[in-house]
Formats: sequence, structure tokens, C-alpha cells
Amino acid sequence: MTALVLCSLVFGVGLYVVLTRREIIAILAGVELMLGSANILLVALASFAGADGGVIGSVALAVLVVAAAEAAVGLALVVSLARRSKRSRVEELLEVKG
Amino acid sequence: MTLFASNPWLAVAVPVFVALVVAVAGKRLVGMTQWFAVLAPVTAGMVGIAGWNSTAGPQSTSWLSQAGTSIETGIAVDGLSAIMLIVVGVVATMVVVFSVGYMAHDESRARYFALLAIFTAAMCLLVMSTSLVTLFIGWELVGACSYLLIGFWYRKASAASAAMKAFLTTRVGDVGMLLGLALLWKATGSLDIAVITGAAPGLAAGTATLAALLLFMGAAGKSAQFPLHIWLPDAMEGPTPVSALIHAATMVAAGVFLIARMWPVFDASEAARTVVLWIGTFTAIFAATVACVQTDIKKVLAYSTISQLGFMFAALGAGAWGAAMFHLVTHAAFKSLLFLGSGSVIHGAKTQDIREMGGLARFMPVTAATWIVGAVALAGIPPLSGFFSKDAVLASVLHASPLAASVLFAASLLTAFYAFRVTSLVFFGKGRGTTVAHESPLSMTAPLVVLAVLAATLGFMGDPIMTALGLEPEILSFAVAGVSVMVAVLGLCSACALYVNGLGQASRLSERFSALHRLLLGGWGVDALVQRVFIAPVIRFAGALYVWLDRLIIDRAVEGVGTGSQFIGRFMANLQSGETDVYASLAAVGFIVLMGIVLWIGR
Amino acid sequence: MTLTILAFALSGLLMAGGAAVVALTRDLMRMVIGLGTFLLGVAGMFLFYGQAFLATAQVFVYVGGVLVLFVFAVMVVHRSSGGRPVLESRHDIGAAVIALGVSGMVILSLQDSVGGWLPASASGGAAIATELLGGHLVVFELLGALLLAALVAVLVIVGAGERR
Repeated sequence: MTALVLCSLVFGVGLYVVLTRREIIAILAGVELMLGSANILLVALASFAGADGGVIGSVALAVLVVAAAEAAVGLALVVSLARRSKRSRVEELLEVKG
Repeated sequence: MTLFASNPWLAVAVPVFVALVVAVAGKRLVGMTQWFAVLAPVTAGMVGIAGWNSTAGPQSTSWLSQAGTSIETGIAVDGLSAIMLIVVGVVATMVVVFSVGYMAHDESRARYFALLAIFTAAMCLLVMSTSLVTLFIGWELVGACSYLLIGFWYRKASAASAAMKAFLTTRVGDVGMLLGLALLWKATGSLDIAVITGAAPGLAAGTATLAALLLFMGAAGKSAQFPLHIWLPDAMEGPTPVSALIHAATMVAAGVFLIARMWPVFDASEAARTVVLWIGTFTAIFAATVACVQTDIKKVLAYSTISQLGFMFAALGAGAWGAAMFHLVTHAAFKSLLFLGSGSVIHGAKTQDIREMGGLARFMPVTAATWIVGAVALAGIPPLSGFFSKDAVLASVLHASPLAASVLFAASLLTAFYAFRVTSLVFFGKGRGTTVAHESPLSMTAPLVVLAVLAATLGFMGDPIMTALGLEPEILSFAVAGVSVMVAVLGLCSACALYVNGLGQASRLSERFSALHRLLLGGWGVDALVQRVFIAPVIRFAGALYVWLDRLIIDRAVEGVGTGSQFIGRFMANLQSGETDVYASLAAVGFIVLMGIVLWIGR
Repeated sequence: MTLTILAFALSGLLMAGGAAVVALTRDLMRMVIGLGTFLLGVAGMFLFYGQAFLATAQVFVYVGGVLVLFVFAVMVVHRSSGGRPVLESRHDIGAAVIALGVSGMVILSLQDSVGGWLPASASGGAAIATELLGGHLVVFELLGALLLAALVAVLVIVGAGERR
């Protein structure tokens, strides 16, 4: 139960960071918070449910790998964009207005 | 002849084809196509003649058939429809020929002749139908043609509103007729006329009475019986030949035809017949009194038509539908003659007001001679046709109700009076008009002569007509005939005496009884009464509806929807700011809402 | 037993504290340090749930790899603008409400799935290897392909910036 509350709240904190920050690096950090807590939650719930440790581990590993790849690509984008425009703010870089 | 006998549908198809050709050929070719248009009524008449004694069964087909029930539609020519077809064919032929001269200077002749042909087709469909459904379709189509032809000169405001009035007033009757159809469908499970008439004697008394009265309502609307007669005088706004064809000879007689066709239903209900008898009798005397004071020659003829139709309905009410049909035939001849004659007079004298005419017999001898034949026939003086048919009507009504018969005798007196009032004012005495009249061209006088011959001789067709209808021939009742001739001569002489020196005496008389004169001139105030009792409250109700319902509720609601969607739209547009964090927030909100729903339902 | 509880409490504290620092600080470098703390806490949690291999991977990949990338990115992005970079934020209250709502919903929806206190199963690297290289070889290969694709993507993205 403690793990559930802890992970959920940290997930919320990550979301809060994603929603409020104007800096892409900070947003990526928020995403890392969400992914990490979700991964813990996955492992914790699966353990309580009595799943096989190997299965849990491999699924969590997959999430971990995907998250790492995502972080790497995201940060590469940040660097590339920063070189181009000297800015890394959301509103200038992730412009989706028509 | 066998072609027409075995293919009665030609009476509908050929006029439709003619109408299409005339309409498509348009304005430029109307000089040719107007003669082609004669083909339409001629075909109708031929089918009627061929079907006079034909024993060919109905040609029918199922329509709208579905699971166990279908509407049997078909056409057949029997004695009754053959008579109607011949009447329609002959009168329409005369009217088309007459119109060639009468409408020679009109721009929209193509439309006119096309409408006449369509009317012929619709009338043929009406009289030949073996099913009430197709009969009703024809019934409505002739109403539509009537509407279009009354409003033929639609740029004239009075013509347009008269057309509307005719359409709406007959609609009142048609609603009743439709209800009657529904009732008969429910009671007998069929709308086939043969089935219904076969089942009619077995109907419950209440059902039979109600069905008969509802059918009579439709007939009264179409045939301008009191109190639904108010449209017919206004219908005179249409071209005069149209008045002769539709509003004197054929369409307005369709009500009589309907009751004759559905006779077993009326035969089953004593009460309904009594209603028909007294409505007819009252209409006859009422319209005759009004006709005595009208100054518009066509209005006189219109009220005269209403009065004569009242005679026919009285005969129907008395149980003598054969006599009614006989009177229908003779009336078609002499009344269309009178209408066409009045058209010729209007054409020559350039006015419709009989006070501005006079002495026209010198300038228009053919018109005058034929008119007098028609007037004598209308007055019921032997040996012209009106005498025989009116005698048949009066004899049958006397048999049913002496009181009604005496009222009809009074109406006959008035009939003779107004017929010769018009005759002496228009054709004799000194000319009061400003224009010099001239005789009409041959295409107008020839139909007059033909109709005059028919009006003079059709009285001797009584026996064949009765035989064709499958009834016993009428035997001339000498007592009735004597009284009616006496009455007619009395009316004739009084009219001549009163109007022989022009309007002087009559206007003195009308001044003395000015209140009565005004009442009669206004048609007993029925129009004003209808206006006050029905139209005004409806208009006030509609106005209130407009203010309260339309403006306050519906308009506000509609505008509210508009404003609301504009507001929502603006709100939504603001959400589409392009800011990704807002989108992400909304996705999160969506998650919350979805989870909330899942949890709430999962409970 | 107390040791286990202590480990759990310590990991939890690291996670919560790191997250709090990430959320609250206005300083980009301090935020990265907070993220590192959080990631260490995650590794501890893995350890607590008996996934020693995962914990090691977490430390290697994140603390050793991703975190260095973060520091790198911060330095590259902000090298021109002198001084310590400062974070901006907005919609604070609304975002907080939404985040709290999401947390609440997650807790509410999962509360029935959480049973006892301690995990029932534990596994070492061997078990994961058996699982990945045995039944889920395709998944393993896909993960490898993904990582390769990510690597290439990073190179392409950064390289494109370089040429400009």
C-alpha cells in the first residue's frame, strides 16, 4: 500500500513537472520521474500478485530500456535544437499552432 | 370504337400526352397546339360513347401491395362513368374550341390549354376509377386544376386570392371525405368501390350514416353546397370558358357523381339522405335568391349553378339519383352554354356588369339566340331540356318531402326570374354601355350553337340515361309538370315586366327594400359570417402563436442554440492555443474522467 | 525484517525527496541532481522487490548513462548564457490539481490489487536471462533493435545540427 501511494504520488509529481515546466530538459526529467515510478509500481503490483520474478524482471527491463532510449533521443533533440536556435523552451520549439 | 371500348385508359393517357405536348411546344407554337388540344376531350368523349353499353370488365392493378393487403386500383367504364365522360368530353371540346377565340389575345395560352387537357385527364380518372383511392387522386387533381385556372391571371390580386379561397374551402370538404374513406376502409377492409357498395347494406347504421355524411362533406365542398359554397362566386375570377367547364358543368358536378357512385352507402342511411335533401333544398332556394340581385353576369350564373346543384342534391336526398344525374347532364349543357354565352357577351361588350349592357341582341344575334335557348332551358320551360330534368327532380322530391318540393318550386320561380332578368337586361332594351359591341368570331359562336342544340334536345335523352344507369325510366308527372311550367312562366313574365324598361323599376324596388337588397347582394352574409366565425379567430390565434410561441419560445431557443454554440466555439477555439502543456493537461483530465467513469460503473 | 523496512524506507525517501527536488527547484543543475537521487531510489526499490539485476541495470543505465546525458545537455544548451540557468513554470495550481487527480485515480483504481506488505517473489539475473533468452527471445531482439535505432537517431539528430 505504501509503495502504491508513494509511486502514484511521485507519478503525479512527474506529471506536474511535465505540465508546468517551460524547459525541455525539465520536461524530460519529469517524464523520467513518471517512467521510474510506473516501473516500480509495475514490479510492486506484479510481486504482490505473485507473478514469476523472471517475467517481472524482463518486462521491467523492457520498460527501462525503452525509457533510456527515449531519454537519449529526447536529449539529442534538445541539443540539436539548442544549437539551432539557442533556446530550449517548449513554446518556441514544440509549436503546433497552425 | 372498339379501340376506345377496350382501352378506356386512353381517356386519361391521351389528355396527359396532349397536355405535355402543348406545354412543351410553348408560346410560339400554341397557334397550332391549341387545335391539337381538342384531341384530349374528344378522346374522353369517344371513350364515353364506346363504353355506353360496354360490358368490358374493369382494368385493374394492385398498388402498394404488402403483406396481405393492397390497394386495388383500376378503371372501368359503366353507365354512370360513360355519362360523365360524354358530358366532360362534349363540354370540354366546346370549351377548348371556344377558348381559341376567347383567349386569342392572351400571352399564356399554352399554359391555359395544357391545364385544360390536364383537367380533362383528371376528370376522366375521377369518373372511371373503380377504387376510391384513384377517385380521390382524380378528385384532388381536378381541384388543383381548378385552383390553377381560377388563378390563371395570377398577377391580378383578386384572382390569386380567389384561387386560394377555392382551394382552401374545398379542402375543408376533402378532409371530411378523406375521413370518410378511412372509415369505409376500416368498416369494409377495402377501398374498392364495388366491394364497398356490396358491403354497404350490411354496415351498422351509425357507420353508414357517418360515412355517408363524411362523403357528402367532400361532395358539398366540391359542389359548392351551403355553407361551403362561398368559393364558387369568387371562382369567377378565372377565364369564362374555365367557369363553363369546371365551375358549371363538370368539376362541381363531381360531388353529385360521387354520391351517385357511392349510392348504396347513402341508401343504407335514412338520416344522411335527409341531411342531403335539406342541404340541397336550402342551397337551391338560398342561391336562387342571391342570383336575383347580382349585377355581375358571371356572379348570377355562379349562384345559379349553386342553386341548380342544390336541386341535384335535393334529388339525391330524395333517393332519386337517376334524376340527379339526368339534371346534371342537362345542366351541364345549358349552364356551359350560358357561361360561354356570357363569355361571348363579355368579349363583345368588354364588361361584366349587366347594368352597362343592354340591347346587345342587335349586335350579337347568334349569341343572343343561343343564350335565350339556354335561359329557357334553365327556367324549365318545355320542351327544352331543363324542363324534363327539373320535372324529374321535383317529382322525386315531392314523393319524399312535399315541404322540400314546395321550396324547390319557389326556387324554380326565382330561377326563371333571374334567368330572364339577365336576358332582358343584356340583350333587350336600350344600350347602356359605352363601347359598341360586336359579334364574336366563328370559333366562339359555333360551340354556342352546338350547345344550344344539345340544351334544347337533351330532355328527350331521359330514358336512355336512366337505362344506362340501370334504373326505371321516369314517367312524366303531369301535375308536377303543370305546376313547374306555371311557376316558370310566372317568373319569366315577372322578370320581363320588371326589366323591360331597363333598370328604373327595379332600382326603385331595391331602394324600398334596401336592407333586403343589401343582404341578398352580399350572399346572405355567409361570407362575412365565415370571415368572422372561422377566419378571424384563426388569424388571431395564429397571430398569438406567432408572438408567443414563434417569437418568444422558438426564436429564442434557436437564437440561444446559435449563441450557445458560438460561445462554446469561442471557448474551444481558445483551447486550441497550440500550447502543448495545455493539450497534455487535457489528456490528463481525460484520464481522470475516464477512470472516474470506470470506477463509478465498476462499483 | 527491520533491515528490509529500513531499505524500503530509505529507497522511498530517496524517490520522494528526489522527485520533490525536481518539482520544486528553480535551478536546472539542482534539478538534475534531484533526478539522480530519484533514480537511485528507484534502484533501491528494485532491490527491495528482489530484482537485483534490475537495480544494477538501473544504476548503470540511468545514473551512469542517462544522468550524464542530462548534465551534458544542460551544459551544451546553457553554455552561452552565463550564470546558472533558471527554470520557469506556469499553470502551477491547475497542473497540481490535475496531477493530484491522476495520482488519486491511480491509487483508487489499484488499491484492491495491493495485498500484503512484502513481495512474494524474487529473482536474480539468471531468471531474467532465462526468461528473455528463452520464451521471449523476440522481445529481447526487438529491444535491442530499439536501442540501436535510438542510437542511430541520436547520431543523426546531433549530426544534422553539427553540419549546420
